[in-house]
Amino acid sequence: MLSVQDLHKSFGDIHALDGCSFELARGHMLGFLGPNGAGKTTAMRIVFRLINPDSGTVTWDGEPVDPDDLLRFGYMPEQRGLYPKMRAGDQLAYLGRLHGMSKSEAREAAEMWLDRFGLGERIGDPVESLSHGNQQRVQLAAALVHDPDLLVLDEPFSGLDPIAVETMSDVLREQAAAGKAVMFSSHQLDLVEDLCEDVAIINAGQIVVSGKVEELKDAAPIRHLELEVEGDPTVLLDSLDGVHSTMTNGSRLTAIIDAETDVRGFIARAQDAGKLRHFAYTTPSLSDLFRQAVR
Amino acid sequence: MRGFGALWQVALREITERARSKAYLLTTALTILIVLALIVLPDLFGGGTSESTVGSVGEGNAEIVSTAVDLGNANDEPGDPPSIAIETVEFDDRESAIVALEEGEVDAVLVDGEEVIVESVGGFGGSSFINGLQRSAGTVQIQAVIAEEGQQAADIIEILTSDPLEVTALSGGVAEDGESKTAVAYFGLLLLYLAVLLYGTWILTGVTEEKSNRVVEVLLSSIRPWQILGGKILGIGTLAIVQLLGTIVVAVVALRVTGAFDLPPIETASVLNLLLWFVIGFLIFAVLFGAAGSLVSRTEDANTIAMPMSMAAVVGFFVSITALNDPDGPVAVISTFIPLTAPFVVPVRTALEAIPVWQYLAALVICVVTIVVLTFVAGRIYAGGLLRYGGRVGVREAWRSAAE
Repeated sequence: MLSVQDLHKSFGDIHALDGCSFELARGHMLGFLGPNGAGKTTAMRIVFRLINPDSGTVTWDGEPVDPDDLLRFGYMPEQRGLYPKMRAGDQLAYLGRLHGMSKSEAREAAEMWLDRFGLGERIGDPVESLSHGNQQRVQLAAALVHDPDLLVLDEPFSGLDPIAVETMSDVLREQAAAGKAVMFSSHQLDLVEDLCEDVAIINAGQIVVSGKVEELKDAAPIRHLELEVEGDPTVLLDSLDGVHSTMTNGSRLTAIIDAETDVRGFIARAQDAGKLRHFAYTTPSLSDLFRQAVR
Repeated sequence: MRGFGALWQVALREITERARSKAYLLTTALTILIVLALIVLPDLFGGGTSESTVGSVGEGNAEIVSTAVDLGNANDEPGDPPSIAIETVEFDDRESAIVALEEGEVDAVLVDGEEVIVESVGGFGGSSFINGLQRSAGTVQIQAVIAEEGQQAADIIEILTSDPLEVTALSGGVAEDGESKTAVAYFGLLLLYLAVLLYGTWILTGVTEEKSNRVVEVLLSSIRPWQILGGKILGIGTLAIVQLLGTIVVAVVALRVTGAFDLPPIETASVLNLLLWFVIGFLIFAVLFGAAGSLVSRTEDANTIAMPMSMAAVVGFFVSITALNDPDGPVAVISTFIPLTAPFVVPVRTALEAIPVWQYLAALVICVVTIVVLTFVAGRIYAGGLLRYGGRVGVREAWRSAAE
């Protein structure tokens, strides 16, 4: 179990972290969300002791993280980094060795992961000769090669094509299912909603929302409303209380409204006004929660 | 992997990756080719005659000179110009001959077939000229011995193993057997200077590259900065020594084969002493270069930040040239106690036997303490500088931001 408690960190006048706390248990996958500059990367770097927090603690299984723990952690930094001229297989084996694997273990793991990502035939090629997407796959393999107990990935999906996103999602699901603690940051909220049971949303250095995605949705004070009518849908809204935001796209209207608002009367009025082609009233999506939280 | 295991892994990676790189193989091949060319080419094309002038005072000199010419040209191919030619100028007395020697009219003066006077015994050319005359004087004596009857072979051997001519040098300073030590010290000095500039730059750009391609963040997430820096220095240092030793072996073999000039006999002790100071000097500069490399994000900026170290190496080199000429002088003594110049100066003063034991030991202690302190300081600057991107990080900023 990874436990991050009350982290504070300033760079000059900028408060990157201002009391950031979250927890991640083995077998779980945590989506770590937040706008740019919210403090995601800083928090991840502190977990790996790359930066010292001004105050606060990071513990693994109840003990402060020490250098030995780091060998059981896997990290994929936001800024990708591999030796461009080193062969893909050698590179992974080297990182495996640094994490304490024997020579043959490291070799085998490197081969296994490259095969897994469909790069088995590129094992002897320098990393710089691989395409961007394939370099990204090698980078993920670099975080996985030593079979870590904790996996921390900073924006693992950015810049990947849909096929690569699928491979990476599968691997992350598998890792969590195998009892590893997995966390990753992302701006692709639909993907996070698909993959993660838990989320933590950070804004201005503080965790503003955290918990199970489903529970958060149910407990949210807002609802997601979608309707499509013949004619102008916006006039209908004037009769609705507690509207937070609306978005129209032709005859389709999306609105975020108070959870307490009674929509039954609204449906009746909409039906009176014209032909109602589509109507949906649901718990908010993760995107809705996110926008609400960081506004 | 813990402690030195990780350090060794880093070193191993440096060695295998660099040894495989075209740049390393090319520079190694080029260095060896240049050294070979410098040794072999003059021997192949330099078929000209080396001319010298010898002053002669008294009797018994003409035979030595003519024998020296015969010996020197013994291996000439027929039809080629002779390898050496010696002109003899007669003088009435020793004093007038010495005046001529000092004015450069003659290269050496022979007195009564028993003494040779030269400007100084230092320098490679001077010594081989004296050796030539010694050999020739010995040959003359052997011929005389053989001409007499009833002599024992032992007498001949005794003549062969002695230097029949007494050497008088006008300028003092260098003891005769100091010559080879000076040569070794000078050679070592040059190697250290080149190694600091060349391989120091490798360490510098190696660190900057890891920072600019961001791989360092992956490394630092599992191992400590001192393991990365230490491994880098060990790996590049090993490659440096392999490249240098390779070059030296090629040079020595080429010299033996071509006989371009006589290698002075070299003592194991002076070589070991040189090696010790080479390692100390390389370590001090390597740690500094490594820390400097962590302060910049782009290799373009690396050269600027290397300036202070390069300057220190240049100063060290010139200070030790001064020490070569004046090993007891104030410059030599003061620079013995400065860690950045000591590795250059101490071997020179040791070779010339011009350093008191306490100064030698003090310099050793100062340098070792410096390495330990620098490793700590540089390690922290390195750790602090590595994750700061964009432009150039100040030393103080890096120190403060280091995660310890």
